[in-house]
Amino acid sequence: MSELLEVLRYREILWNLVRRNLKVRYKNSVLGFAWSLLNPLMQIGVWYFVFKILFGRNEPNFMAFLVTGFLPWLFFSQTIMDSTAAVTQEMPLIKKAYFPRTILPVSVLLSNLIHLGFAFIVLLALFGLWRVDLNIYYLWVIPSTILIALFAYGLCAMLAAWSVFYADVKFIVGNLLGLWFFLTPVLYPLQLVLNKQQIDSPDNWVEFFLQSNLPLLKKLYVIDPLTIAVEGYRSALLHGGENFIRVTAAANATPADQAAALALQTSLRAQYPTLPYIIGAAVIAVATAVIGQIIFRRKADAFAEQG
Amino acid sequence: MSAIEVRDVWKKYRRPHVKTTSVKEAALAILRGQQGYDEFWALQGVSFEVQQGEAIGLIGPNGSGKSTMLGLLARVLKPTRGTMSVRGRVCPLLELGTGFHPELSGRENVFLNSSLLGLTRRETQRRYDSIVDFAELGEFMDSPVKTYSTGMVIRLGFSVAVHMDPDVLLIDEVLGVGDEHFQHKSFGRLLEFKEEGRTMFVVSHNLQSVGILCERAIWLDRGRMVKDEGSDEVITKYKAAVEAWERSLAEAKTRDAPAS
Repeated sequence: MSELLEVLRYREILWNLVRRNLKVRYKNSVLGFAWSLLNPLMQIGVWYFVFKILFGRNEPNFMAFLVTGFLPWLFFSQTIMDSTAAVTQEMPLIKKAYFPRTILPVSVLLSNLIHLGFAFIVLLALFGLWRVDLNIYYLWVIPSTILIALFAYGLCAMLAAWSVFYADVKFIVGNLLGLWFFLTPVLYPLQLVLNKQQIDSPDNWVEFFLQSNLPLLKKLYVIDPLTIAVEGYRSALLHGGENFIRVTAAANATPADQAAALALQTSLRAQYPTLPYIIGAAVIAVATAVIGQIIFRRKADAFAEQG
Repeated sequence: MSAIEVRDVWKKYRRPHVKTTSVKEAALAILRGQQGYDEFWALQGVSFEVQQGEAIGLIGPNGSGKSTMLGLLARVLKPTRGTMSVRGRVCPLLELGTGFHPELSGRENVFLNSSLLGLTRRETQRRYDSIVDFAELGEFMDSPVKTYSTGMVIRLGFSVAVHMDPDVLLIDEVLGVGDEHFQHKSFGRLLEFKEEGRTMFVVSHNLQSVGILCERAIWLDRGRMVKDEGSDEVITKYKAAVEAWERSLAEAKTRDAPAS
């Protein structure tokens, strides 16, 4: 808590670092800040090509589904990617003068929150284009963002501190993020994983492990703050705050199929009740933030003595 | 009331054998029961007090702990043992010209650097013209710092630092920065600080400048205080010691290489 007060006392540096981060990211590019908007747009364009044109996915609102999941993911992965340089690149500043070192990971977090804000403007513009209606449930985006920001901050602080002493952290992080992306329902709907009953013909120890722990792993998958945040965004922006487990039958399904889909949805919702999972994810996010901050503070005194 | 109090301060560094930069190396070292580093005391039980307005020179050979002492006073480093207190706004003139971002303009860097040294945006705004004037960089302030020469960067760093209105100045080997003209100018600025009654700590190998700026000097050798007296006495004794040491080196050389 005292650290938070100290960061506030030194907010001038914090604000200057955030401004610098924002300015430097697109320095030397002709379009400058427009890239904040163009980057997510172009990524979405790639997916449009891959999923809609190559794979012929035809669900209604499929692009809106992708974009809403991608925003929180982009924020999270950028923050984590930036974290490994948060301290190591600021060594000249650290050796020059005293300031609360916590400012460094906080500045990374704030810079990326601002980028998220820009990307959100793109999203609203697209929604205008697709004639999606604005409504009060959009506000659910705020708690979802706080949840993922706390989680990202905790990881960012500990990775920033460890990177000073071990260069390996950077490479491990890059690869783990690649895996994590697929362990988050960005490109596919949540119920794809929830509905998986078994691994088809497991024939090595990884697959046997997955098979024998499937119910537990699915619970962990849902309680992951990233899953909750992504589904929180979707629920807020696309489904008017509705429960995030949805099973919809195809448009041309028979009444029997529709009834089966509804039954599945009811049973999944009973199996994964929303509230406990949201609370669980919030506890994980807060705990990560606190632990990350403790690790960072313990290491911070030795930063100036490194390299 | 003293401006600076240093009580029995010790500072330990770990000096890695081979810099461990990977988890695997670290894990292997632990398995083999190696420590992977030497412990090394950069400062060993240093104590002194400084009154408001005093100017103190820190002299001693390389590796005697001078820069470590300044780092501790600037709160960049923490003492391993002992306590220290520094009253008022400290302005470290350490690592001048570092901490500038090459892609940002001189102007943007002035604001970033000043905030790092503790000025608010408005305070910087008020001093901005004077900072640019002192650095003599008027027409370059809107160009990125990566286009500056080394001398220009250091001039800007010095100029920002001396505009902080500090109570305590920490000066690490910056007496000889820039060209002849800027050296005179910056030395003159430091003399003004002295007249204004600000506390100063000067680390330098330029003993003549230390003699002019400081009335008191502390001589450090391998982390221990050898002398803490008037600067003229300390400098004379230090010079004598260096000469004696060089003579003994020369004698050893002639002894080891007998005339053939």
